Amino acid sequence: MRIKPKVLWFQGITCNGNTHSLLCANPNRLELFLNSFDLIYHPSLTTHSNLLDIINSNEGIDFLLIEGAISNNTDFFSISNSSTKDLLNKLVQKSTYVVAVGSCASYGGIHAKFELNEDITGVQNSLDKRAATRLKHKVINLTGCPVHPEWILQTLFIVKSHGKIQLDDENRPVEMYSTLAHHGCTRNEYFEWKVESDHYGTKEGCLFYDQGCRGPMTKSSCNKILWNDVNSKTRVGMPCIGCTELDFPRENMLETKKHIGIPFETPLGISKRAYLSLTGVAKTFKINRLQDKLIKYDD
Amino acid sequence: MKTVDIIERIEGEAHLKLDWRNGVVKDSRIEFLNFRGFEYILEGKAPLDALVYTPRICGICGQAHLLATVNALENLYKNANIDLEVTKKAKLLRELGLAIEILDSHIKWFYMFIMPDVASLSQGKYKDYQAMNGSKWLDAIKVASDTMKGLAIIGGQWPHTSYMIPGGVMCDPTLLELATIENYIDQAIMFFEKNLSGVSISDYMSFNSVSNLDDLRADLKDFKDLSFEHGLTNIGKSYDKFFVISDMLGFKSGRIKLINAGKINLDKIKESDEFSFDAKDKKQNKKKYSWAKTVKYDENFFETGPLARAMVGGRKFIKSIHKEYDDSVFTRVMARMDEMAYLLQKCKRIIKAVDISEPSFIKPKIKLKDIYYAKAVGSIEAARGSLMHEVEIEKGKIKSYNVITPTVWNLGPGSKSEPGVAQKAIIGSKSLKEATITLRSFDVCSVCTTH
Repeated sequence: MRIKPKVLWFQGITCNGNTHSLLCANPNRLELFLNSFDLIYHPSLTTHSNLLDIINSNEGIDFLLIEGAISNNTDFFSISNSSTKDLLNKLVQKSTYVVAVGSCASYGGIHAKFELNEDITGVQNSLDKRAATRLKHKVINLTGCPVHPEWILQTLFIVKSHGKIQLDDENRPVEMYSTLAHHGCTRNEYFEWKVESDHYGTKEGCLFYDQGCRGPMTKSSCNKILWNDVNSKTRVGMPCIGCTELDFPRENMLETKKHIGIPFETPLGISKRAYLSLTGVAKTFKINRLQDKLIKYDD
Repeated sequence: MKTVDIIERIEGEAHLKLDWRNGVVKDSRIEFLNFRGFEYILEGKAPLDALVYTPRICGICGQAHLLATVNALENLYKNANIDLEVTKKAKLLRELGLAIEILDSHIKWFYMFIMPDVASLSQGKYKDYQAMNGSKWLDAIKVASDTMKGLAIIGGQWPHTSYMIPGGVMCDPTLLELATIENYIDQAIMFFEKNLSGVSISDYMSFNSVSNLDDLRADLKDFKDLSFEHGLTNIGKSYDKFFVISDMLGFKSGRIKLINAGKINLDKIKESDEFSFDAKDKKQNKKKYSWAKTVKYDENFFETGPLARAMVGGRKFIKSIHKEYDDSVFTRVMARMDEMAYLLQKCKRIIKAVDISEPSFIKPKIKLKDIYYAKAVGSIEAARGSLMHEVEIEKGKIKSYNVITPTVWNLGPGSKSEPGVAQKAIIGSKSLKEATITLRSFDVCSVCTTH
């Protein structure tokens, strides 16, 4: 690989959220990225080149990054007078590694919910045979709505040094998507002792029981690699909405589906019996410290 | 002669079609050809799920969409005659998130989207403003990223948090966290003073006359010099009519049609799709050329955004610049950057006003799902101007959802007899570069325009 691998960022059907997430990377890390890679094209950032010139040139691309969903239907969406599917396949022909940045690029995401356009999907499903067989490495899916900037940077740096990255069943890097959003959540003690948060707007209580938190079923490292360097949604009090999983966006995302007062879904890999037994035991104890405010201010 | 150019670095893509006569643009069209159908997606969804969907309309102003949704959903309660209590603290924490997001947007727009073009008018000089390679570009991205940490303290992350909800906010910041947010705001103030205006923010806020332009130092001085050198004070003029939909963040709602500001009545906002594609029509009428709709207030086109807010709200410095240079590109850019100073100070006042002993959230007595039928509007001021969401719920589901974005006001097609706001501003351009800079001066967001 070149000392400074060439990176091209292509935008399909998107809100540009992953671009802004990237720009919110730790500033030193972003500078390191810009010094270590040659970002030859990004529709919002670069000024010196345009997409069609690059497609028509002999220039190869080391990393093709795609933000947004892909469609062949130009009635609703086109970039530079072509369909996103057509442009994607032309770009893949020139690329060594293909990275789907975000849930929309990985599997269609939120945009696939637009039913008047039945042809919205992710990168992997949009590759034509010629493009697909040419690739020596599987398309890397970085799910998340948006994706965390570090997940992009770490993926690029790992592949740059090792030439490959190990992926899970959904083609996501195992090192970023094996643990749960739940891991590292500051509310974990409330989860252990089954202390629910009876309403929003508190630092106390677990959001799994009422607010619909998907932390225990969602593979992501949101509470390990903090957002904007400082925080995560569940830490402030917003439930995880499971945006790194392929069923995002689901129905009724801000409430917990329950059956006779018990969460319908149990944490990943935990049987209902195991979950209920443990809950039964935990609930027999009333722990004052966990019922109290965490921080007590003098009046 | 007709030309078509694809314009990038506008949060998406647009086609600029120009009709030239003797080297001057006689007619212009701005085509937004991409449609994602958010209003259709929302039909049939649970009302609260809109809080997750609408921020994803736009990666740069998602919190504005979130707040518009929250306001619309809270107004559903009001219109159904159900009491709903929201504490002052919750309202302040919502405003704080919105203000920080606008600051981020203004910084990025100036350094990523408009200055690289303006600086390139002077060949060779001002190389620091080059996108990606220029030192100023990177400095701006760095301060924008740091400022956003302040929003992540209350929102958990940015982009795409949904920390605002009918009844309040989901977070409960401590004093330490509020102080941390203030630290990030102070860092942004340092950037404003050192890099942007070259004067202290208090001196800057005392500017009240066009002659104060001579007191500018640093990057705004570069912009001013470039503007005078290349006539940006004379281009980009449009209807000179301004519209502000909401009083949020201390802005003043109202409109200016001739000279004096007047009150607004939301019922007079009318959308039309004479030139806009119909998502359900396979064969589009030939007249139709864009996914953007046309929006008018009381049969008139109005400009919305920071210039409108400065004019309606009476920011003396900008009003004085406007008196001299009208609604030119120069005035429009100055108004957007001027708003940064105002918002930075506003953020500090908001943080001071938060009483942490108040509840962040008061649970509504009834779930939205249990309201049989209601209809409501939520309106706020976003980075690019007035934003309105209209929602209708029936039997626990969203029946219809309509979004009117600021960029529709500014960039939508005109009517049969009159061009739209940006179209009019572009007519008269003597070069493509001039037309492009004028278009950029509206802070184009293609993804919002069509949503």
